[in-house]
Amino acid sequence: MYQSKWRSLTNHIILILGSLFMIMPVWIAFASSTHTREFLFQNGLQFMPGGHFFDNYGKILFDQSATKGRVTALQMLFNSMVLGLGFAIGKVIISMMAAYAIVYFRFRLAMPLFWVIFATLLLPLEVRIVPSYEVVAKLGLLNSYTGLILPLIASATGTFFFRQFYRSVPDELLEAARLDGAGPWRFFIDILVPLSVTMIAAIFIIMFVVGWNQYLWPLLMTTDDQLYTIVIGIKQVYNSLYEGGQIPQFPKAFALTIMASIPPVLVVVIFQRMFIRGLVETEK
Amino acid sequence: MKRVQFGHSPVPYLFVAPQIIIIAIFFLWPAAQAVHQSFLLEDAFGMSSQFVWFRNFNDVLSSPSWLKSAGFTVVFSSLVAVLSIAISLFLAVRADEVIRGAKVYKTLLMWGYAVAPPVAGLLGIMLFNPLMGDLYILFNKMGLDFNHIQNGNDATFVVVLIAVWKQVSVNFIFFLSGLQGIPKSVTEAATLDCKSAGRRFWTITFPLLAPTTFFLMVINLTYAFFETFGIIDVSTKGAPGGSTATLVYKVYVDGFLGADMGGSSAQSVLLMIMVSVLTVFQFRFIERKIHY
Amino acid sequence: MFRKTLMAAAALFAMANTASAATEITWWHAMDGALGDVVNHIADDFNKSQSEYKVVPINKGGYEDTMTAGIAAFRAKNQPNIIQIFDAGAATIINAKGAVYPVQDLLEKYGTGFDINDYIPGVRYFYADSKGKMIGMPFNSSTPLLYFNKDALAKAGIQNPPKTWQEFEEMAPKLKAAGYEGFAESHSPWIFFENFMSRHNLQMATANNGYDSTDVKILYNNDDLKNHWKKMKEWKDEGYFGYYGRAWGANQDAFLHQKAAMWLGSSGSFGGLRKSATFDFGTSTLPYWKGVGDAPKSTFIGGASLFAFSGHSDEQNKGVAAFFEFLTKPETQYYWHKETGYVPVTTAAYELAKKDGYYKESPDAEVGIQQLSEEGGKWTKGYRLGFYVQIREVIYNEVDKMMNGEETVDQAFDVIETESNKLLVRFHDTYSN
Repeated sequence: MYQSKWRSLTNHIILILGSLFMIMPVWIAFASSTHTREFLFQNGLQFMPGGHFFDNYGKILFDQSATKGRVTALQMLFNSMVLGLGFAIGKVIISMMAAYAIVYFRFRLAMPLFWVIFATLLLPLEVRIVPSYEVVAKLGLLNSYTGLILPLIASATGTFFFRQFYRSVPDELLEAARLDGAGPWRFFIDILVPLSVTMIAAIFIIMFVVGWNQYLWPLLMTTDDQLYTIVIGIKQVYNSLYEGGQIPQFPKAFALTIMASIPPVLVVVIFQRMFIRGLVETEK
Repeated sequence: MKRVQFGHSPVPYLFVAPQIIIIAIFFLWPAAQAVHQSFLLEDAFGMSSQFVWFRNFNDVLSSPSWLKSAGFTVVFSSLVAVLSIAISLFLAVRADEVIRGAKVYKTLLMWGYAVAPPVAGLLGIMLFNPLMGDLYILFNKMGLDFNHIQNGNDATFVVVLIAVWKQVSVNFIFFLSGLQGIPKSVTEAATLDCKSAGRRFWTITFPLLAPTTFFLMVINLTYAFFETFGIIDVSTKGAPGGSTATLVYKVYVDGFLGADMGGSSAQSVLLMIMVSVLTVFQFRFIERKIHY
Repeated sequence: MFRKTLMAAAALFAMANTASAATEITWWHAMDGALGDVVNHIADDFNKSQSEYKVVPINKGGYEDTMTAGIAAFRAKNQPNIIQIFDAGAATIINAKGAVYPVQDLLEKYGTGFDINDYIPGVRYFYADSKGKMIGMPFNSSTPLLYFNKDALAKAGIQNPPKTWQEFEEMAPKLKAAGYEGFAESHSPWIFFENFMSRHNLQMATANNGYDSTDVKILYNNDDLKNHWKKMKEWKDEGYFGYYGRAWGANQDAFLHQKAAMWLGSSGSFGGLRKSATFDFGTSTLPYWKGVGDAPKSTFIGGASLFAFSGHSDEQNKGVAAFFEFLTKPETQYYWHKETGYVPVTTAAYELAKKDGYYKESPDAEVGIQQLSEEGGKWTKGYRLGFYVQIREVIYNEVDKMMNGEETVDQAFDVIETESNKLLVRFHDTYSN
């Protein structure tokens, strides 16, 4: 392809600037997280890392009193992991099954049920959060991983992903399977699931990130700080009540920010190909 | 629907059951309660309540601060959508052209997808901290008289910037795969036809990307409506003077912090109507695209 | 594998919960950072002092978050035993008939009795109903104070911090010349609306400041308060007053960074500031306008109080009563006062602090309680206004607009009046039946 030297150079310059735009804030956060709060408070945000990396991160990971309440960042990371994985696993299984029923079966309630599922896309959790809380509480699920995860699964995005995918699966497959005498269950397990592996992986990755990054729901429904996720932890540390008159805990907030971002970013970067495929193919 | 399907049997019900049960308990039940509550005046603790017809809707729609927030939400969402799409399209076109280091650039530009909105909000607002924030200090050294704490436009700039930063990655991924999906023969022919890269982009590439762009428009608007809650909540909290409060943030402030159950339910129902329109729009478009 | 991990985790939680035989009393509060540490310390002390009950304090975020969580939990019949509710939220919880067990009844029934006169005058009636029965127990009671940077004042050649705003006007140019903004303030609604009214003994709302009825109108739209804000705007434009928005911290930071020579904040900030300020500072009472109302009168008691939710067993209520009695013990109060700067709520604790020589050692710590013990007036007992959290929100917004010139002071106060009264009507209609 024809490409002038000049064009190539500007391409690189633009892309480098774009990358810096993305990375700078996180770098500054990291560098600033390795200083003492007094230093940061007096000297502003930092570009160069300081000497308190192990001190700050160690404290926040293992020392309960370093965060608010009585929970370590390690516990919060564990909770986020449970939320991310539970959300992703639950969503993949449930939506695969539902999409299978909708695409591959003729049954009387198919249309009404399809519309019920579709309706969940209309009303994000943010706008029905107090009644959701009441329901979860009535079922005795407050402060449980189940109560944290299940209401989030009640949205149908995953079902639509799989619906789209199944519809792109050639009809001949089912015809052939039926000639072989395969029933619905065998067709699902032996043919459709293996065929969907990349799709499952892709959606799993996306859902893990979505679950990990949940904010408002965990904020309201966890009344036990042992269940705080790391994203909530950030708000708790950052929003510390100033009436106490202390120097703000910016390095700790930054350290939490970095720790909250590493797992999902790593997942997305490592499984880049699958992730991109999942994102682009499903949302189209 | 599929041409070939399994016939009538109870099997499909078993397969949809888990999804439907979860939706019934955790979606339909609470959503119905939200609608019900929007017609009630009820004290926060649920000790007494009365049916008031459309009183709550009336109060919401006649409140200047709600209308202001609705106006801001529209401006904010449009700005976020247009800017993040423009920036990421620009970057994607360049990333599509480079040969050396293409993979590295791609990785460097796409990881932002995984960052939680409140994290982005915190990073952003710290950079604009009046006493320690680099960007705040830089802008004022440049003589811009920048003050997002008092000036509504400056504050809008800050939240838009944060929201765009968070959203560039997703759009970038879509545009890049869209660009890579354009057949080589088309690009080569285009290169022969017109030498100017700019003209080539507008006459050939952009029209080919139009469906993606349109789709991203909807995605970005939905994002700006709902997912930016975390950004607003840790950055401006709607200040100054409520000029950066999105509608979702307002539901949160009035309903949860202010303990006005009926009022916030009415706001939720209004939001629900708006999202429905957006979603139906999006869904129709997706459905149509399938037939391509 | 994952399942197993989950189940193991769940089992661990279950064990942790059943292992303790003592009756568990949950306490949701909004105290974090160093304040949270002190809260935990007090709970631990109580738990060690006896074996029947175990108080478990849980931080639920800020004041608003805590109240929200409490409301949601109550509606779901999952309420904690004790919840900390801040001044602006008092009307919401007190007007919801039956949601809380009035502390006075609780202590009379389950404790060793109750005498309202044990409490210092300023806090007696703030969380009481219209008949004077105490509903919530004052806990972290704070009052707005003036903090001043001694070095800054010395540099500007000023001997004493201003007692009145007239005095401040005279010294502001000197501070400016010395390179300082005169002052910054955290929390405009609290300091320059509610406490402005109290300090000058002005009526804040009809119906006895809202104590007598929910059918009430706000009285903020008056010349005294408007003139003050006209001055504030003037001072801001002159560089005598630094406005850093509505965030508490940003304004406090300006003081800590020595940009502002003085700062109006909470007496509860004293303990923390002592650790974080790199300069010598002192405290003084909230300035007033000489000749306005009949200033100076005492300020409102701010901060928050503890409410006992209804719907718990006798056994647990007994535990709550026991804990409340522990909290009001002079020793506990003194410890809380010393560690945090919040004022002691009982006279016995105040006496203990005096006897112990605490105020000789650090006289600044006494300013808050002195201010609350100043002569009271007809309108200094408190206020009880519904949806006051949203009213504060309106005030915050209008202050922003006054300061950035989007609206004139008169316009802003018109908005404050109409919007607040709309909210009050809504509250009345919601709660009066």
